[in-house]
Amino acid sequence: MVRLLDYSVEKEEQLEKLEAATKLEAKSVSFHYGETEILKDIHLEVKEGEFIVFMGPSGSGKSTLLRLLAGLSQPRSGEIRLNHQRLSGVSEELAVVFQDYSLFPWLTAQENLVLALKQKLKKTKTKKEIQQLAEEYLQLVQLGHAVKKYPGELSGGMRQRAAIARALSLGTEIILMDEPFGALDPLTRIQLQELVVAINWEQKRTIVFVTHDAEEAIFLADRIVMFSPGPPGIIVETIDVPFSKPRNRKQLFDSKEYIEFRDYLLGVMNKGVLERLNQSQQLLPGEGI
Amino acid sequence: MANFFKRYSITAVIAFLLVAAWVIITTYSTLLNPVIFPPALDIVKAFISAVGELIQGFFSSMGLLIPALAGALVTGIGGGLYFGLHEKGRAIFSPFFHTFSPLPPTLFIPYAIALLPTFKSASIAILFIGAFWPIFLGTIQGVILIEKHYWDNAKTIGVRGKDFIWKIVLPASAPHILSGTGTALTLSFIVLMMAEMFGAQSGMGHFIVYYTDFSQYDYVLAGLIFNSIIILMIIILFEKVKKRMLFWMNLKSE
Repeated sequence: MVRLLDYSVEKEEQLEKLEAATKLEAKSVSFHYGETEILKDIHLEVKEGEFIVFMGPSGSGKSTLLRLLAGLSQPRSGEIRLNHQRLSGVSEELAVVFQDYSLFPWLTAQENLVLALKQKLKKTKTKKEIQQLAEEYLQLVQLGHAVKKYPGELSGGMRQRAAIARALSLGTEIILMDEPFGALDPLTRIQLQELVVAINWEQKRTIVFVTHDAEEAIFLADRIVMFSPGPPGIIVETIDVPFSKPRNRKQLFDSKEYIEFRDYLLGVMNKGVLERLNQSQQLLPGEGI
Repeated sequence: MANFFKRYSITAVIAFLLVAAWVIITTYSTLLNPVIFPPALDIVKAFISAVGELIQGFFSSMGLLIPALAGALVTGIGGGLYFGLHEKGRAIFSPFFHTFSPLPPTLFIPYAIALLPTFKSASIAILFIGAFWPIFLGTIQGVILIEKHYWDNAKTIGVRGKDFIWKIVLPASAPHILSGTGTALTLSFIVLMMAEMFGAQSGMGHFIVYYTDFSQYDYVLAGLIFNSIIILMIIILFEKVKKRMLFWMNLKSE
């Protein structure tokens, strides 16, 4: 009986996993910039509700892949599929948070949200309702005091909070984030990591997040997609993060398992970097001739 | 205000010394021709007696300048937006822009006089041509140089139509549009003075040409001083407007 029960529970878990629908997909995608091959033969599936982190050194093409997923660039070959439909341009079902330019500097925080919301809600809601909605989303990310402030008057962390509020307000199931905390100080960074984890966990939004910080990747991700140093960037490995959510930062970072996992992760990343270095060293004498 | 005096104290001393030198040289020496360089007191007298005429001239000059500038702003920014956003059209027409934009607007005076019914409309047309090019080309450049980030950002939130132009393209290209407008403004004062030298009955430029013909240099100088004050005031006003419109470029976080 016990065995049977165990078995059937496991089976159920498997079923649940199978049921999580594929939201976003890259199928043998490659991308060139001029003559340089930036991405080569990328396969990737993003499941509903998942928190996926792209990790890799600079120039590995992880941000380029995010742009392709956002529909901001088109792959040279292969295709991006969103809800099983081929993506040929920017979609209303995706929201994007950029590193430090998601807000227009000539509009206040609120006006920035209103501009985005208006495109979706112009027909169904009045101007006043949209403004109210923008304010509510800013309050949600603790920016209630800064609704009338311009991005130039806000700190980097506050700007990213506003950018996240804008992405949230669009009500999309998927949010793409391109190194959103790369320019922030450590404390602000931790606060915002907690915020995006909560968004993924409580609001059930699917998040694709680019970073080159291992700690950040482990704390946030369900799965980490590791890129090799490019060009061309390829996916070396996709690694499930073996820590259950919700995660307690302190407990997690103090645990032996975390340290082992981080070392393993860095090992995977550094292996690629070292191989790359060796390659270029071997090439150098030949190039000199 | 105290800061203002502190900052410009040396400038003020130099200005005072220059005026003093003028007064001393023209009043107490025969170094300079008294007709061409009249004593300072004569200039003040001429200024007082001609102040009504000068103000009337100011208004008739503005009657030429304002419609010409308004027309140049509307067509320059409108056309600039179009060619800035449409690469194909720009590629086809830019040889024309490069050919016509460097021509001095005064070259068109013969045609303006021949084709347009009144002196006023001809002058406005010439002024318009002069002011149009810098605004038009500034707008095109402003649109072309909009940072890729802004485009990406606008695309991801799906901004279209009026909002796209008013909330994104215009503010993003405003620095170049305004710098083009500044050039147009300076240029149009030069063209204005020239345009008033044919056919005008009054005006800031006309005043000076008129009294030059009678060799009344005290009036000429009074006119020069009046014109420089007006032009300086307009330029300062424009810089203030420009700074206000581009406020977002100089914000500081707390």
